[in-house]
Amino acid sequence: MVTLEHADIRRILPHRHPVLLVDRVLDLEPGVRIVATKTVTGSEPCYAGLDEHLPASAYAYPASLLVESFGQTGAVLWLYSAATAGERSEGTLIFGSAREVTITGSAYPGDVLRHTVEIDQLIGDNAFMRGETWVGDRRIATLGSVLAVVREGLAAGTGS
Amino acid sequence: MSRRFAAPLTAVDTVDIADAPAGARVEAVKRIAGEDPYLVGHYPDFTIYPGVFTLESVHQAIRHWATERHGPGAVAELAAITSISFAAPLLPGDTLRIGCDLTERDDTPATVRAKVRCHRGDGALSARMTLELRIDRRDGDGHA
Repeated sequence: MVTLEHADIRRILPHRHPVLLVDRVLDLEPGVRIVATKTVTGSEPCYAGLDEHLPASAYAYPASLLVESFGQTGAVLWLYSAATAGERSEGTLIFGSAREVTITGSAYPGDVLRHTVEIDQLIGDNAFMRGETWVGDRRIATLGSVLAVVREGLAAGTGS
Repeated sequence: MSRRFAAPLTAVDTVDIADAPAGARVEAVKRIAGEDPYLVGHYPDFTIYPGVFTLESVHQAIRHWATERHGPGAVAELAAITSISFAAPLLPGDTLRIGCDLTERDDTPATVRAKVRCHRGDGALSARMTLELRIDRRDGDGHA
């Protein structure tokens, strides 16, 4: 069983504060499956500038960031697996496409998102993944198919 | 500026809403700025507007429609991404143009379907998506 702390995750993902949205990897089976967490806190930039006296529902963690956190978790699995296999990919990591994503609940400051992601298929620089996001024993999202892509040429000359 | 919901950034600059036979046509524009929140980390040596921020832009455009159509207490929550795909990347200085056709249904709780095509300022298709959103009416408690 592989576990990774935040320092390890920073070595794997190119994302940085405040958009590095994976805190810890609880379990990783290379090429197969990952379980990772991201803690939502009220001090994140997405909670800056909110009106006063809003209902509790206004503090729902944005769906866009939830999907990003899930995608980054999948990227950790993919990139760690590639490194373990001795493969090296160059280019910019981007979100290619997704299908059959349902969002059935929300997370709030203090909650811990727990993503489980499985690799369905790896084709060249494309990784097809699926999984679920949980808060405690509540499943708040199901992601039927998410495609991550490493695209070359986007960052020509920047050394990305 | 302040807002009434948690969001990574102000993801639309202008929103235009017009009635359409089955619902509404929503068009929105967002100019990509490297100084926007979160972009400094995406990525440190090469800034690119994250795909999920295009999703956020579309969501915020539909939030504008929901409050115009149903009042300031109405909230449009993302319920499903039926499909989403990204083509041309958006970099600082680019303009994102959103064209969204909304279909309203009379279900309770009300759900709307959004078919969306997004273009970059140079005309390239940057993203398309089909979404479902749930319109919650919180008349009374949603007012700041």
